[in-house]
Amino acid sequence: MRIGWVSLQDFRSYREVHWRPDPSLSILVGPNAAGKTNLLEGVAYLALLRSFRRAPDGVLVHRDAATGIVRGEVRRTDRSALIEIEIPRQGRKQVLLNGKRPARHSELSGALRVVTFLPDDLDLIKRGPGERRSYLDEVAYQVWPGAAAEQAQFERTLRQRNAFLKRGADDPVTWAVWDERLADSGARLVARRHQVVTALSGFLTDAYRDIAGKGRVEFVYRAMWTDRPEAGVEDLRADLHRALEASRRTDAERRITTVGPHRDDPNLLVDGRDARYEASQGEQRSLVLALRLAAHRVIREITGEEPVLLLDDVFSELDVDRAVALQAALPPSQTVVTTTALEHVPLEGAIFEVRGGEVVPR
Amino acid sequence: MSFEGPLQRLVDELARLPGVGRKSAQRIAFHLLSVDETDARRLAQAIIDLRDRVGYCRRCFNVTSSDECAICRDPRRDPAVVCVVERPQDVVVMERTHEFHGRYHVLGGALSPISGIGPNQLRIPELRRRVAEEDIEELIVATNPTVEGDATAMYISREFKPLGVRVTRLASGLPVGGDLDYADEITLGRALAGRVEI
Repeated sequence: MRIGWVSLQDFRSYREVHWRPDPSLSILVGPNAAGKTNLLEGVAYLALLRSFRRAPDGVLVHRDAATGIVRGEVRRTDRSALIEIEIPRQGRKQVLLNGKRPARHSELSGALRVVTFLPDDLDLIKRGPGERRSYLDEVAYQVWPGAAAEQAQFERTLRQRNAFLKRGADDPVTWAVWDERLADSGARLVARRHQVVTALSGFLTDAYRDIAGKGRVEFVYRAMWTDRPEAGVEDLRADLHRALEASRRTDAERRITTVGPHRDDPNLLVDGRDARYEASQGEQRSLVLALRLAAHRVIREITGEEPVLLLDDVFSELDVDRAVALQAALPPSQTVVTTTALEHVPLEGAIFEVRGGEVVPR
Repeated sequence: MSFEGPLQRLVDELARLPGVGRKSAQRIAFHLLSVDETDARRLAQAIIDLRDRVGYCRRCFNVTSSDECAICRDPRRDPAVVCVVERPQDVVVMERTHEFHGRYHVLGGALSPISGIGPNQLRIPELRRRVAEEDIEELIVATNPTVEGDATAMYISREFKPLGVRVTRLASGLPVGGDLDYADEITLGRALAGRVEI
């Protein structure tokens, strides 16, 4: 799969831009704040239907406009698809697939898949478990059409249960109902996350060795409420239900759900050591690259299609060894790289200059 | 820009309606200005009648222009089977099937603590009273397959099963005549979970 063209209208710093990336590798070069990341963000928006920086939709709209528009064509060997998204400053976005509103969200899932390498990726390792939960959920989202709805259902149910606790948790039957609904949606979510962990395990160590040369990486899914995250939905549901009932007193006191998948701690180990606290800076840097490469391999393995690679100013952060290793490990997918200086990028490709809201081939 | 007096007032009022934007409001207002006066008055009268004459059935809370709705008054309907729905519009949808011959109970929404809606904000106390006073054998819960609708269905099951009432939930599954391809994954998942032996 590859992107034929993308066009942005009143998106971030762009009033209007139309860009045809190279079928294999494009390098976007320009000074800071020229709009390179914004262009990449627009491309990723077609796949994720949200900002890869997790910015709220409202801030994506150009400050002088009420609505931003992202359009793009995705080509496959046998067909092409047109994705069009209208993003209002306030309210719901409209998404069209081939000119028609998709009957359901999952129709769009897989229309375009991307793997992003971002400057903040080190947060995946250095920061709390929330980053790693999101990483797992994002891979699931790109691979399984049902995952988006499962995630939304869990979030919604959690919000409802928390609202119930905030309002004083007065009715035992209602309480039992929300416990059961949360146990059900939470079990599905965690079964999915564990499915990703399992799929990754085959690739993570390989990808890490591609970058660091040696080492062994494990992804361990830890949850306070179960010691068998690998179990099926039924068992997980029973475990979570038990834990929710056991934490009722605490939940009532704190007026929030204190146990569940939203508190789980997916952990990365390098040679058996906790990557967050015990790995060296260098190991952490290699590990983030490995996480992204492994995500790419999992998506390719399960969907049978090469996702598009988006690398935002990644090489300038790397020492020579890792830059060379990453270059060698990059799969032959369509790739877009941004940089402030071409000498940072050890890759050959079509060069585009980004400045003043325009993208010009060199 | 805005128009003078009554025209602008109507545009403002129309624009407050659900699903009507500024432009549609203007289009409707100018349309009403251009049609026959009787047409416009008929619309106005319909709105007045709606507010004056339409209320809720004292038994099932369906909309009705009398004390009790036509379904509750119909002696051919089976009073032992009650279909529980969220909104009066859902009654219309069920009725269109011509397959259901019991009565209804309209809850007026679904459980949603976020919006401050608990069982007592719904017509669940009224349902409890009906179960106590009428000979209801089965409640068919036809709330929406949403987070809130599912929670409401479960609440009703927990609340009324101990009273000896049979509580059932509408099966959700594949649309008849549709390809498997067209079923979205959640629907398919539910259909799988609720599969029956043949």
